[in-house]
Amino acid sequence: MNWMRFQDALFHRAPAALAVHILMVLISVVVAVVISVPLGVVLTRPRFRRYGFIVLNVLNMMQTIPGLAIVALAMPLLGLGLKPTIVALVVQGLLPIARNTIAGLYGVNADVKEAALGMGMPAKKILYEVELPLAMPIILAGIRTSAVYVVSVGTLAAYIGGGGLGDLILTGLNMFWSEFLIVGAGLGAVLAIALDRALAYLEYRITPPGMSSE
Amino acid sequence: MNYIRFIQDNIPLILEYTKAHFSLVLWAVLISLVLWVPVGVLITRSEKWANRVLGIANTIFCIPSLSLFAVMVTIPFLGLGRRSALVALVLYAMMPLVRNVYQGVKVVDKSVIEAARGMGMNYWRILWEIQLPLATPVIFAGFRITVVMTTGIAAIATYIGERNLGRLISEGLTRFNIEMIVDGALLIAFIAIALDTMLGALEKKIVPRGLRVHRGH
Repeated sequence: MNWMRFQDALFHRAPAALAVHILMVLISVVVAVVISVPLGVVLTRPRFRRYGFIVLNVLNMMQTIPGLAIVALAMPLLGLGLKPTIVALVVQGLLPIARNTIAGLYGVNADVKEAALGMGMPAKKILYEVELPLAMPIILAGIRTSAVYVVSVGTLAAYIGGGGLGDLILTGLNMFWSEFLIVGAGLGAVLAIALDRALAYLEYRITPPGMSSE
Repeated sequence: MNYIRFIQDNIPLILEYTKAHFSLVLWAVLISLVLWVPVGVLITRSEKWANRVLGIANTIFCIPSLSLFAVMVTIPFLGLGRRSALVALVLYAMMPLVRNVYQGVKVVDKSVIEAARGMGMNYWRILWEIQLPLATPVIFAGFRITVVMTTGIAAIATYIGERNLGRLISEGLTRFNIEMIVDGALLIAFIAIALDTMLGALEKKIVPRGLRVHRGH
Protein backbone atom coordinates (compact mmCIF):
# COMPACT_ATOMS: atom_id res chain seq x y z
CA MET A 1 0.00 0.00 0.00
CA ASN A 2 1.46 3.33 -1.02
CA TRP A 3 -0.17 6.08 1.00
CA MET A 4 0.83 8.91 -1.37
CA ARG A 5 -0.66 7.09 -4.30
CA PHE A 6 -3.81 6.36 -2.36
CA GLN A 7 -4.20 10.05 -1.56
CA ASP A 8 -3.54 10.96 -5.17
CA ALA A 9 -6.24 8.56 -6.32
CA LEU A 10 -8.78 9.57 -3.73
CA PHE A 11 -8.32 13.34 -3.67
CA HIS A 12 -7.05 14.24 -7.11
CA ARG A 13 -8.46 11.70 -9.51
CA ALA A 14 -11.61 10.42 -7.84
CA PRO A 15 -13.74 13.60 -7.52
CA ALA A 16 -13.67 14.35 -11.25
CA ALA A 17 -14.12 10.69 -12.20
CA LEU A 18 -17.04 10.33 -9.83
CA ALA A 19 -18.65 13.51 -11.17
CA VAL A 20 -18.34 12.28 -14.77
CA HIS A 21 -19.71 8.91 -13.75
CA ILE A 22 -22.74 10.37 -11.97
CA LEU A 23 -23.39 12.75 -14.86
CA MET A 24 -23.24 9.96 -17.39
CA VAL A 25 -25.52 7.73 -15.34
CA LEU A 26 -28.03 10.52 -14.74
CA ILE A 27 -28.23 11.54 -18.40
CA SER A 28 -28.52 7.93 -19.55
CA VAL A 29 -31.23 7.00 -17.08
CA VAL A 30 -33.24 10.16 -17.77
CA VAL A 31 -33.05 9.61 -21.53
CA ALA A 32 -33.93 5.95 -21.08
CA VAL A 33 -36.98 6.86 -18.99
CA VAL A 34 -38.08 9.51 -21.48
CA ILE A 35 -37.92 6.97 -24.31
CA SER A 36 -39.15 3.80 -22.68
CA VAL A 37 -42.04 4.90 -20.48
CA PRO A 38 -44.00 6.45 -23.38
CA LEU A 39 -43.05 3.42 -25.48
CA GLY A 40 -44.46 1.15 -22.81
CA VAL A 41 -47.63 3.23 -22.57
CA VAL A 42 -48.17 3.20 -26.33
CA LEU A 43 -47.63 -0.54 -26.51
CA THR A 44 -50.29 -1.24 -23.93
CA ARG A 45 -52.98 0.86 -25.65
CA PRO A 46 -55.62 -1.30 -27.34
CA ARG A 47 -54.56 -0.19 -30.83
CA PHE A 48 -50.97 -1.40 -30.47
CA ARG A 49 -51.57 -4.11 -27.95
CA ARG A 50 -50.72 -6.96 -30.27
CA TYR A 51 -47.23 -5.53 -30.83
CA GLY A 52 -46.62 -5.41 -27.08
CA PHE A 53 -45.85 -9.08 -26.84
CA ILE A 54 -43.45 -9.00 -29.76
CA VAL A 55 -41.61 -5.93 -28.44
CA LEU A 56 -41.39 -7.53 -25.01
CA ASN A 57 -39.78 -10.62 -26.49
CA VAL A 58 -37.33 -8.56 -28.51
CA LEU A 59 -36.43 -6.55 -25.41
CA ASN A 60 -35.97 -9.72 -23.40
CA MET A 61 -33.60 -10.99 -26.04
CA MET A 62 -31.64 -7.76 -26.16
CA GLN A 63 -31.36 -7.82 -22.40
CA THR A 64 -29.25 -10.95 -22.61
CA ILE A 65 -26.57 -9.17 -24.66
CA PRO A 66 -23.69 -8.46 -22.29
CA GLY A 67 -22.82 -4.85 -21.48
CA LEU A 68 -19.27 -5.18 -22.75
CA ALA A 69 -20.57 -6.18 -26.19
CA ILE A 70 -22.85 -3.15 -26.41
CA VAL A 71 -20.14 -0.75 -25.28
CA ALA A 72 -17.76 -2.32 -27.75
CA LEU A 73 -20.26 -2.03 -30.60
CA ALA A 74 -20.88 1.65 -29.83
CA MET A 75 -17.26 2.50 -30.54
CA PRO A 76 -17.00 1.57 -34.24
CA LEU A 77 -20.38 3.16 -34.92
CA LEU A 78 -20.02 6.40 -32.97
CA GLY A 79 -16.36 6.81 -32.16
CA LEU A 80 -14.66 7.48 -28.85
CA GLY A 81 -15.73 9.66 -25.97
CA LEU A 82 -18.64 10.41 -23.72
CA LYS A 83 -21.31 10.52 -26.43
CA PRO A 84 -21.04 6.91 -27.65
CA THR A 85 -20.86 5.88 -24.01
CA ILE A 86 -24.14 7.54 -23.24
CA VAL A 87 -25.77 5.98 -26.30
CA ALA A 88 -24.58 2.53 -25.19
CA LEU A 89 -25.80 3.14 -21.66
CA VAL A 90 -29.20 4.32 -22.89
CA VAL A 91 -29.57 1.17 -24.98
CA GLN A 92 -28.72 -0.88 -21.90
CA GLY A 93 -31.00 1.12 -19.64
CA LEU A 94 -34.03 1.10 -21.93
CA LEU A 95 -34.90 -2.53 -21.56
CA PRO A 96 -35.75 -2.98 -17.88
CA ILE A 97 -37.81 0.21 -17.80
CA ALA A 98 -39.84 -0.55 -20.92
CA ARG A 99 -40.41 -4.09 -19.77
CA ASN A 100 -41.58 -3.06 -16.34
CA THR A 101 -43.78 -0.28 -17.74
CA ILE A 102 -45.53 -2.78 -19.97
CA ALA A 103 -45.78 -5.37 -17.19
CA GLY A 104 -47.02 -2.76 -14.70
CA LEU A 105 -49.70 -1.41 -17.03
CA TYR A 106 -50.83 -4.91 -17.99
CA GLY A 107 -51.02 -5.73 -14.31
CA VAL A 108 -53.55 -3.02 -13.49
CA ASN A 109 -56.77 -4.70 -12.51
CA ALA A 110 -59.31 -4.58 -15.34
CA ASP A 111 -62.13 -3.98 -12.84
CA VAL A 112 -60.47 -0.78 -11.65
CA LYS A 113 -60.23 0.50 -15.22
CA GLU A 114 -63.83 -0.42 -15.86
CA ALA A 115 -64.90 1.40 -12.72
CA ALA A 116 -63.04 4.49 -13.88
CA LEU A 117 -64.69 4.22 -17.29
CA GLY A 118 -68.07 3.86 -15.60
CA MET A 119 -67.42 7.05 -13.65
CA GLY A 120 -67.12 8.82 -16.99
CA MET A 121 -63.37 9.25 -17.15
CA PRO A 122 -61.92 9.68 -20.65
CA ALA A 123 -59.13 7.31 -21.71
CA LYS A 124 -56.46 9.93 -21.10
CA LYS A 125 -57.61 10.57 -17.56
CA ILE A 126 -57.77 6.85 -16.82
CA LEU A 127 -54.18 6.57 -17.95
CA TYR A 128 -52.89 9.48 -15.88
CA GLU A 129 -55.00 9.09 -12.77
CA VAL A 130 -55.58 5.36 -12.52
CA GLU A 131 -53.22 3.25 -14.57
CA LEU A 132 -49.92 5.10 -14.19
CA PRO A 133 -50.19 5.64 -10.42
CA LEU A 134 -51.06 1.98 -9.90
CA ALA A 135 -48.23 0.84 -12.16
CA MET A 136 -45.75 3.30 -10.67
CA PRO A 137 -44.09 0.96 -8.14
CA ILE A 138 -43.32 -1.56 -10.87
CA ILE A 139 -42.07 1.14 -13.24
CA LEU A 140 -39.83 2.45 -10.46
CA ALA A 141 -38.50 -1.04 -9.84
CA GLY A 142 -37.53 -1.08 -13.53
CA ILE A 143 -35.80 2.28 -13.21
CA ARG A 144 -33.92 0.95 -10.20
CA THR A 145 -32.72 -2.14 -12.05
CA SER A 146 -31.75 0.03 -14.97
CA ALA A 147 -29.85 2.57 -12.83
CA VAL A 148 -27.76 -0.09 -11.12
CA TYR A 149 -27.06 -1.69 -14.47
CA VAL A 150 -26.03 1.60 -16.03
CA VAL A 151 -23.60 2.33 -13.17
CA SER A 152 -22.08 -1.08 -13.74
CA VAL A 153 -21.75 -0.81 -17.51
CA GLY A 154 -20.60 2.78 -17.02
CA THR A 155 -17.34 1.54 -15.51
CA LEU A 156 -16.61 -0.16 -18.84
CA ALA A 157 -16.97 3.20 -20.57
CA ALA A 158 -13.36 4.03 -19.75
CA TYR A 159 -12.31 1.60 -22.45
CA ILE A 160 -13.98 3.67 -25.13
CA GLY A 161 -12.79 6.95 -23.67
CA GLY A 162 -15.95 7.79 -21.75
CA GLY A 163 -14.10 8.51 -18.51
CA GLY A 164 -15.75 7.95 -15.17
CA LEU A 165 -14.67 5.62 -12.39
CA GLY A 166 -13.55 3.04 -14.93
CA ASP A 167 -10.60 5.34 -15.65
CA LEU A 168 -9.24 4.76 -12.16
CA ILE A 169 -9.71 1.01 -12.46
CA LEU A 170 -8.08 1.03 -15.90
CA THR A 171 -5.06 2.92 -14.55
CA GLY A 172 -4.92 0.58 -11.57
CA LEU A 173 -4.97 -2.51 -13.75
CA ASN A 174 -2.45 -1.20 -16.25
CA MET A 175 0.06 0.04 -13.68
CA PHE A 176 -0.89 -2.61 -11.16
CA TRP A 177 -1.54 0.02 -8.51
CA SER A 178 -3.92 -1.56 -6.05
CA GLU A 179 -4.67 1.86 -4.49
CA PHE A 180 -6.29 3.04 -7.71
CA LEU A 181 -8.19 -0.22 -8.01
CA ILE A 182 -9.56 0.04 -4.49
CA VAL A 183 -10.60 3.68 -4.83
CA GLY A 184 -12.18 3.26 -8.27
CA ALA A 185 -13.88 -0.03 -7.57
CA GLY A 186 -14.95 1.00 -4.08
CA LEU A 187 -16.56 4.22 -5.25
CA GLY A 188 -18.28 2.38 -8.09
CA ALA A 189 -19.71 -0.13 -5.66
CA VAL A 190 -20.77 2.57 -3.21
CA LEU A 191 -22.43 4.56 -5.98
CA ALA A 192 -24.40 1.56 -7.24
CA ILE A 193 -25.48 0.45 -3.79
CA ALA A 194 -26.46 3.97 -2.74
CA LEU A 195 -28.55 4.45 -5.89
CA ASP A 196 -30.21 1.09 -5.36
CA ARG A 197 -31.07 1.89 -1.74
CA ALA A 198 -32.32 5.39 -2.57
CA LEU A 199 -34.59 4.14 -5.34
CA ALA A 200 -35.78 1.24 -3.16
CA TYR A 201 -36.80 3.77 -0.53
CA LEU A 202 -38.61 5.86 -3.12
CA GLU A 203 -40.34 2.73 -4.36
CA TYR A 204 -41.42 1.90 -0.83
CA ARG A 205 -42.75 5.41 -0.26
CA ILE A 206 -44.64 5.59 -3.53
CA THR A 207 -46.41 2.24 -3.24
CA PRO A 208 -49.99 2.88 -2.18
CA PRO A 209 -50.85 1.19 1.12
CA GLY A 210 -52.70 -2.03 0.51
CA MET A 211 -50.88 -2.94 -2.68
CA SER A 212 -47.29 -3.31 -1.56
CA SER A 213 -45.60 -5.56 -4.10
CA GLU A 214 -44.51 -9.10 -3.16
CA MET B 1 -16.42 -8.51 -46.11
CA ASN B 2 -13.59 -7.79 -43.70
CA TYR B 3 -15.59 -9.01 -40.73
CA ILE B 4 -16.03 -12.49 -42.14
CA ARG B 5 -12.43 -12.63 -43.30
CA PHE B 6 -11.23 -11.78 -39.83
CA ILE B 7 -13.10 -14.76 -38.44
CA GLN B 8 -11.83 -17.03 -41.21
CA ASP B 9 -8.23 -15.95 -40.62
CA ASN B 10 -8.40 -16.41 -36.89
CA ILE B 11 -10.40 -19.55 -36.37
CA PRO B 12 -7.79 -21.29 -34.15
CA LEU B 13 -7.48 -18.22 -31.93
CA ILE B 14 -11.23 -17.77 -31.63
CA LEU B 15 -11.67 -21.45 -30.81
CA GLU B 16 -9.02 -21.20 -28.12
CA TYR B 17 -10.73 -18.15 -26.60
CA THR B 18 -14.13 -19.83 -26.79
CA LYS B 19 -12.78 -22.87 -25.01
CA ALA B 20 -11.25 -20.77 -22.24
CA HIS B 21 -14.48 -18.78 -21.98
CA PHE B 22 -16.67 -21.80 -21.54
CA SER B 23 -14.35 -23.58 -19.15
CA LEU B 24 -14.50 -20.49 -16.91
CA VAL B 25 -18.29 -20.30 -17.20
CA LEU B 26 -18.67 -24.02 -16.56
CA TRP B 27 -16.56 -23.96 -13.41
CA ALA B 28 -18.23 -20.81 -12.14
CA VAL B 29 -21.71 -22.25 -12.66
CA LEU B 30 -20.78 -25.60 -11.11
CA ILE B 31 -19.28 -24.03 -8.01
CA SER B 32 -22.25 -21.67 -7.74
CA LEU B 33 -24.73 -24.53 -7.90
CA VAL B 34 -22.89 -26.57 -5.28
CA LEU B 35 -22.59 -23.55 -3.02
CA TRP B 36 -25.79 -21.57 -3.45
CA VAL B 37 -28.50 -24.20 -3.87
CA PRO B 38 -27.96 -25.59 -0.33
CA VAL B 39 -27.82 -22.03 1.01
CA GLY B 40 -31.12 -21.26 -0.69
CA VAL B 41 -32.70 -24.36 0.82
CA LEU B 42 -31.21 -23.70 4.25
CA ILE B 43 -32.52 -20.16 4.58
CA THR B 44 -36.11 -21.30 4.03
CA ARG B 45 -35.99 -22.44 7.65
CA SER B 46 -35.40 -19.01 9.14
CA GLU B 47 -37.03 -15.78 8.03
CA LYS B 48 -34.37 -13.71 9.76
CA TRP B 49 -31.48 -15.41 7.99
CA ALA B 50 -33.31 -15.36 4.69
CA ASN B 51 -33.58 -11.58 4.87
CA ARG B 52 -29.93 -11.21 5.80
CA VAL B 53 -28.59 -13.53 3.11
CA LEU B 54 -30.82 -12.11 0.39
CA GLY B 55 -29.81 -8.60 1.45
CA ILE B 56 -26.15 -9.50 1.07
CA ALA B 57 -26.81 -11.14 -2.29
CA ASN B 58 -28.65 -8.06 -3.54
CA THR B 59 -25.86 -5.78 -2.42
CA ILE B 60 -23.19 -7.86 -4.13
CA PHE B 61 -25.28 -7.94 -7.27
CA CYS B 62 -25.30 -4.13 -7.36
CA ILE B 63 -21.51 -3.88 -7.47
CA PRO B 64 -20.30 -3.13 -11.01
CA SER B 65 -18.61 -6.20 -12.48
CA LEU B 66 -15.38 -4.44 -13.37
CA SER B 67 -15.22 -3.13 -9.79
CA LEU B 68 -15.69 -6.55 -8.28
CA PHE B 69 -13.00 -8.02 -10.50
CA ALA B 70 -10.70 -5.13 -9.61
CA VAL B 71 -11.26 -5.62 -5.89
CA MET B 72 -10.60 -9.35 -6.17
CA VAL B 73 -7.28 -8.64 -7.84
CA THR B 74 -6.08 -6.66 -4.82
CA ILE B 75 -6.68 -9.58 -2.46
CA PRO B 76 -3.26 -11.26 -2.14
CA PHE B 77 -4.46 -14.86 -2.23
CA LEU B 78 -6.45 -14.28 -5.43
CA GLY B 79 -4.38 -11.97 -7.60
CA LEU B 80 -4.64 -11.74 -11.37
CA GLY B 81 -6.17 -14.65 -13.22
CA ARG B 82 -8.67 -17.39 -12.95
CA ARG B 83 -9.07 -17.55 -9.20
CA SER B 84 -10.24 -13.94 -8.94
CA ALA B 85 -12.53 -14.38 -11.93
CA LEU B 86 -14.11 -17.48 -10.40
CA VAL B 87 -14.69 -15.88 -7.01
CA ALA B 88 -16.28 -12.80 -8.57
CA LEU B 89 -18.52 -14.83 -10.87
CA VAL B 90 -19.64 -17.11 -8.05
CA LEU B 91 -20.46 -14.08 -5.91
CA TYR B 92 -22.58 -12.65 -8.72
CA ALA B 93 -24.44 -15.92 -9.14
CA MET B 94 -25.50 -15.76 -5.49
CA MET B 95 -28.38 -13.38 -6.18
CA PRO B 96 -30.28 -15.26 -8.93
CA LEU B 97 -29.58 -18.72 -7.52
CA VAL B 98 -30.21 -18.21 -3.82
CA ARG B 99 -33.26 -16.05 -4.46
CA ASN B 100 -34.85 -18.47 -6.90
CA VAL B 101 -34.15 -21.56 -4.81
CA TYR B 102 -35.53 -19.80 -1.75
CA GLN B 103 -38.65 -18.58 -3.52
CA GLY B 104 -39.19 -21.88 -5.28
CA VAL B 105 -39.05 -23.91 -2.09
CA LYS B 106 -40.97 -21.32 -0.12
CA VAL B 107 -43.97 -21.09 -2.43
CA VAL B 108 -44.69 -24.83 -2.39
CA ASP B 109 -48.27 -25.23 -1.32
CA LYS B 110 -48.53 -25.62 2.47
CA SER B 111 -51.30 -28.19 2.18
CA VAL B 112 -49.10 -30.45 0.04
CA ILE B 113 -46.43 -30.40 2.72
CA GLU B 114 -49.00 -31.03 5.39
CA ALA B 115 -50.35 -33.99 3.45
CA ALA B 116 -46.81 -35.38 3.16
CA ARG B 117 -46.25 -34.92 6.85
CA GLY B 118 -49.55 -36.62 7.54
CA MET B 119 -48.32 -39.57 5.48
CA GLY B 120 -45.38 -39.84 7.86
CA MET B 121 -42.61 -38.31 5.74
CA ASN B 122 -39.76 -36.70 7.63
CA TYR B 123 -38.15 -33.35 6.84
CA TRP B 124 -35.55 -34.71 4.42
CA ARG B 125 -38.00 -36.78 2.44
CA ILE B 126 -40.39 -33.86 2.19
CA LEU B 127 -37.51 -31.72 0.93
CA TRP B 128 -36.25 -34.27 -1.60
CA GLU B 129 -39.50 -35.71 -2.82
CA ILE B 130 -41.93 -32.81 -2.56
CA GLN B 131 -40.36 -29.37 -2.19
CA LEU B 132 -37.40 -29.62 -4.56
CA PRO B 133 -39.29 -31.29 -7.43
CA LEU B 134 -42.08 -28.75 -7.15
CA ALA B 135 -39.54 -25.93 -7.01
CA THR B 136 -37.70 -27.15 -10.12
CA PRO B 137 -39.21 -24.61 -12.53
CA VAL B 138 -38.29 -21.62 -10.40
CA ILE B 139 -34.83 -23.02 -9.67
CA PHE B 140 -34.28 -23.68 -13.36
CA ALA B 141 -35.27 -20.11 -14.17
CA GLY B 142 -32.59 -18.97 -11.75
CA PHE B 143 -30.11 -21.35 -13.33
CA ARG B 144 -30.86 -19.94 -16.75
CA ILE B 145 -30.32 -16.36 -15.61
CA THR B 146 -27.08 -17.41 -13.91
CA VAL B 147 -25.68 -19.12 -16.99
CA VAL B 148 -26.49 -16.27 -19.37
CA MET B 149 -25.27 -13.62 -16.94
CA THR B 150 -22.06 -15.49 -16.14
CA THR B 151 -21.29 -15.87 -19.84
CA GLY B 152 -21.63 -12.12 -20.29
CA ILE B 153 -19.64 -11.08 -17.25
CA ALA B 154 -16.93 -13.65 -17.94
CA ALA B 155 -15.97 -11.57 -20.98
CA ILE B 156 -15.02 -8.72 -18.66
CA ALA B 157 -12.63 -11.04 -16.82
CA THR B 158 -10.31 -10.61 -19.77
CA TYR B 159 -9.13 -7.40 -18.09
CA ILE B 160 -7.82 -9.37 -15.14
CA GLY B 161 -5.90 -11.79 -17.30
CA GLU B 162 -8.37 -14.35 -18.62
CA ARG B 163 -7.73 -15.22 -22.25
CA ASN B 164 -11.32 -15.51 -23.42
CA LEU B 165 -13.71 -13.97 -25.93
CA GLY B 166 -13.54 -10.64 -24.14
CA ARG B 167 -9.93 -10.54 -25.29
CA LEU B 168 -11.12 -9.89 -28.84
CA ILE B 169 -12.84 -6.73 -27.63
CA SER B 170 -10.07 -5.55 -25.33
CA GLU B 171 -7.30 -6.18 -27.86
CA GLY B 172 -9.41 -4.73 -30.63
CA LEU B 173 -9.87 -1.56 -28.60
CA THR B 174 -6.16 -1.18 -27.83
CA ARG B 175 -5.14 -1.90 -31.41
CA PHE B 176 -8.05 0.06 -32.82
CA ASN B 177 -8.93 -2.95 -34.92
CA ILE B 178 -12.59 -2.46 -35.79
CA GLU B 179 -13.09 -5.94 -37.26
CA MET B 180 -11.79 -7.51 -34.09
CA ILE B 181 -14.05 -5.42 -31.85
CA VAL B 182 -17.19 -5.95 -33.88
CA ASP B 183 -16.62 -9.67 -34.35
CA GLY B 184 -15.86 -10.13 -30.66
CA ALA B 185 -18.93 -8.18 -29.56
CA LEU B 186 -21.23 -9.93 -32.02
CA LEU B 187 -19.87 -13.32 -31.06
CA ILE B 188 -20.46 -12.68 -27.36
CA ALA B 189 -23.93 -11.29 -28.02
CA PHE B 190 -24.78 -14.24 -30.23
CA ILE B 191 -23.60 -16.78 -27.65
CA ALA B 192 -25.61 -15.09 -24.90
CA ILE B 193 -28.80 -15.03 -26.98
CA ALA B 194 -28.30 -18.60 -28.17
CA LEU B 195 -27.73 -19.89 -24.64
CA ASP B 196 -30.76 -18.04 -23.34
CA THR B 197 -32.97 -19.37 -26.14
CA MET B 198 -31.73 -22.93 -25.68
CA LEU B 199 -32.19 -22.90 -21.93
CA GLY B 200 -35.60 -21.29 -22.41
CA ALA B 201 -36.66 -24.17 -24.67
CA LEU B 202 -35.31 -26.64 -22.13
CA GLU B 203 -37.20 -24.83 -19.38
CA LYS B 204 -40.44 -25.34 -21.26
CA LYS B 205 -39.65 -29.03 -21.69
CA ILE B 206 -38.82 -29.95 -18.12
CA VAL B 207 -41.55 -27.94 -16.45
CA PRO B 208 -44.85 -29.73 -15.98
CA ARG B 209 -47.71 -28.00 -17.79
CA GLY B 210 -49.50 -27.01 -14.63
CA LEU B 211 -46.43 -25.44 -13.14
CA ARG B 212 -45.34 -22.93 -15.78
CA VAL B 213 -43.99 -19.76 -14.20
CA HIS B 214 -43.15 -16.37 -15.57
CA ARG B 215 -39.53 -15.39 -15.51
CA GLY B 216 -38.92 -12.87 -12.76
CA HIS B 217 -37.44 -9.52 -13.57
